[in-house]
Amino acid sequence: MLIFRKPIEGIERPEMPADVVIVGGGPAGMACALRLSQLIDEHNAIHPDSPLSKENIYVLEKAREVGQHCLSGALLDPRAMRELLPGFETEAPIEAEVSKEAVHYLTQTGQFKLPITPPPLQDHGNYVISINRFVKWMGEKVEAAGITVFTGFAGSELLYDGDRVIGVRTDDKGIDKQNQKKSNFEPGYDLKAKVVVLAEGSRGSLTKQLVSKFDLARDSNPQTYGVGVKELWELPPGRVAAGEVIYTMGYPLTTKEYGGAWIYGGKDNVISLGFVTGLDYSDPRLDPQRVLQEFKKHPFIAKMLEGGKMIRYGAKSLPYGGWWALPALAGDGFMITGDSAGFLNSARLKGIHLAMKSGMIAAQTAFEALVKGDSSEKTLGLYPKRVGQSWIKEELWKVRNFHQGFEKGFYAGLAHTMLQQVTFGRGLYARYPSHAGYERMQHLDALPANGGAEANLLGDAKGDGKLTFDKLTDLYHSGTKHEEDQPAHLVIHDTNICNTRCVKEFGNPCTHFCPANVYEMVEDTSSGQGASSEVPVKRISLNAANCVHCKTCDIMDPYQIIDWVPPEGGGGPNYDGM
Amino acid sequence: MPSILVIVEQQQGKPNRVSWETIAAGQAIAADMGWSVEAAVAGNAIAGVAGEVAAKKLAKVYAVDSPSLDRYNPDAFAAALKQLIVAKQPMLVLMPHTYQVRDFAPKLATQLGRCVISDCTGYKKGGEKLVFTRQMFQGKFSADVSFGSDGPWLATFQNGSFRGDKAEDGAATAPIETFPVTIDAAAVRNQPEEWFKEAKQAVDLTQAEIIVSVGRGIKEQKNIELAQQLATALGGEIAASRPICDNGWLPMDRQIGSSGQTVSPKLYLALGISGAIQHIVGMKGARAIVAINKDSEAPIFEIADIAVVGNLFDIVPPLIEEIKTAKS
Repeated sequence: MLIFRKPIEGIERPEMPADVVIVGGGPAGMACALRLSQLIDEHNAIHPDSPLSKENIYVLEKAREVGQHCLSGALLDPRAMRELLPGFETEAPIEAEVSKEAVHYLTQTGQFKLPITPPPLQDHGNYVISINRFVKWMGEKVEAAGITVFTGFAGSELLYDGDRVIGVRTDDKGIDKQNQKKSNFEPGYDLKAKVVVLAEGSRGSLTKQLVSKFDLARDSNPQTYGVGVKELWELPPGRVAAGEVIYTMGYPLTTKEYGGAWIYGGKDNVISLGFVTGLDYSDPRLDPQRVLQEFKKHPFIAKMLEGGKMIRYGAKSLPYGGWWALPALAGDGFMITGDSAGFLNSARLKGIHLAMKSGMIAAQTAFEALVKGDSSEKTLGLYPKRVGQSWIKEELWKVRNFHQGFEKGFYAGLAHTMLQQVTFGRGLYARYPSHAGYERMQHLDALPANGGAEANLLGDAKGDGKLTFDKLTDLYHSGTKHEEDQPAHLVIHDTNICNTRCVKEFGNPCTHFCPANVYEMVEDTSSGQGASSEVPVKRISLNAANCVHCKTCDIMDPYQIIDWVPPEGGGGPNYDGM
Repeated sequence: MPSILVIVEQQQGKPNRVSWETIAAGQAIAADMGWSVEAAVAGNAIAGVAGEVAAKKLAKVYAVDSPSLDRYNPDAFAAALKQLIVAKQPMLVLMPHTYQVRDFAPKLATQLGRCVISDCTGYKKGGEKLVFTRQMFQGKFSADVSFGSDGPWLATFQNGSFRGDKAEDGAATAPIETFPVTIDAAAVRNQPEEWFKEAKQAVDLTQAEIIVSVGRGIKEQKNIELAQQLATALGGEIAASRPICDNGWLPMDRQIGSSGQTVSPKLYLALGISGAIQHIVGMKGARAIVAINKDSEAPIFEIADIAVVGNLFDIVPPLIEEIKTAKS
């Protein structure tokens, strides 16, 4: 019997007043905190009589340590960092400056290099970084500036007063599998905040509640996503230089699926290698972790990795939808930043700089709210206005229709992209519509039983233990750990759908798209039918402790009955060095 | 001659089984380096434990005896051992990596102005240098570490790194020296309460010599009984891989693996366990691994000493009978 996490009712929670609570200590949240600190320092230097305090500014981070849940390629466009901390290069952890880039198109066994690298993928001047190390370093700066980072604390609910956001509740700790208090029970805190900045990353759980409660996306395109599955490899010297960037298109995906691979050369012969699969594929049996394994089997890649060693694994979703998919970004008491809002340039495959910039603009606005003593929409509404006047819009506007152009496949996408190139991003229509990716998933009976052209993307990867890995072995290298005795944080609103409808219609795609083997269909022995009937009755089972917090299930479930909520703070992957 | 001091852990007058492993470690290092080995027991009225330890091949056993050490508390133990180490100046202090040692060892090291290499899995002699091996990244890497400072050095060994039964007995009983310590009552900042065992944590699988472990192949909750019968016949403990505990078929404190306990019994019998890496890391230190699985491709067979491909429901019942017959 599955029991899901839900807020504990009828208990008193300690309250703490706060000026600003930033939910999520990633690039957006940390940039927001740092900018806020700078603005307060400047203010206090000019107005020593009416100083502002940083004591009541908090960053909530669900990971045990800052940066442990951060996963990206990653390439950093330094634009935002140069504004935030000029000269940051001298002290920030940077693997290498991009020195060489190439785009390859892969066929099943062959490959050709594009004669010129398309402009959006030209990366000279960008840096190869470990987002984990970089954010950890930003976190140290934030703490040194006097702002408290609560690691191991997740934002579990938003607090409302009517239509106003008035704070954040942190996760209850010490709840057992049955949702009962354990002897170490500690209730979450109610942080009553003047301003709440949501910086939770892709498909943030509080952002999802908020957007739905106030219908903040009513004028937006549906957000579309991809999932990046990544491995770090240690290679023999001389294979991939530090600062070398390789993108691939094509194999193993067919022209129907959206996605591609990256290979970034870091220091000490460690490379970041990953595959992004668009979460709008049609075959429910497709497995993004398998896609990465198939990709590595391509001779071009297999040769590069030969004799190397996989050292880390992880996965994370990313929002593709761009400008038209942004929800309303602010309202009474709140602002939405970074990947939670969808600040990502899908043509350039980059969003860290946009996330940081959005955090910085939100900081400016939060600062004014504190000075004015008004955090209503009137003041916080300045945030979306400023985003519209900033280089965020300039950059995203040019690619506003980019990803939508690929909804009908690779060739149509290329055609639209070329049109958009010569029409300043417009293309055929002023605003290309988009569809939520899960809507494209097809019923099993509409698909070839053997998988057709996609056959090698479907089902579990086997793994040879050297070049390719089964999911559990990969997962082991994510360092994922949770308190085991807690209710499942993957809240399935109706498991009957899983066990009776989905099993027939889609064959339980969750068991495939989850890169961490959280979802499983197991033989149901509890009813006593399993052993006797000819076809064993299966029911959904969750290995919630495997979860790497990528949010793919919340995004891709075709019935949209899964809500990802934060597990007990401190649990999750450990992306050290990723 | 430089000496090694092994700190023996005792609870209520009984030595912790892991301490024998640490004595074995001390004896091995001493043989390689040409050093001598001594041991120390700390507690109140511990002549009995000291006598038991003195049966081993040791140059001397110190009984650090004081009423203040009656019940474990970190301040008093660190203070007492500090006095002993300062007085005797061993080159190397070895301790088992137990919960208690984890608690006081950092304090002891800081008070001595020395560092601890903790949770080591082995050592080697690199030239004249003594090098310790410890695991990193959840056992994925091993690092060699040596002391850069003057002694006394402090190191702790992970449970199962050495074999306790390899601790050599001495030709004669080692001399026991009572080492009186005075502990300033004001320096002891906490008062331990009575010993108790949390009911749910009644088993300590790390101490079990035989473990029968079940995985998904057991199929149904009612079949757990079969594995329990086998465990009882062998005089061992029952344990499981995660899915079994997740289902609530066995309590969580019987879970072996990266999210459960790490064990190193003499015999580990894996029934219907496929052997995902998450499980393997929790039991690969077992002396002998017997795996029964119907899938000949199961990864557990890669580390099994005895691999039985077959249906556990056919194999286990006669096995129980055979064991009973053999034992009677």
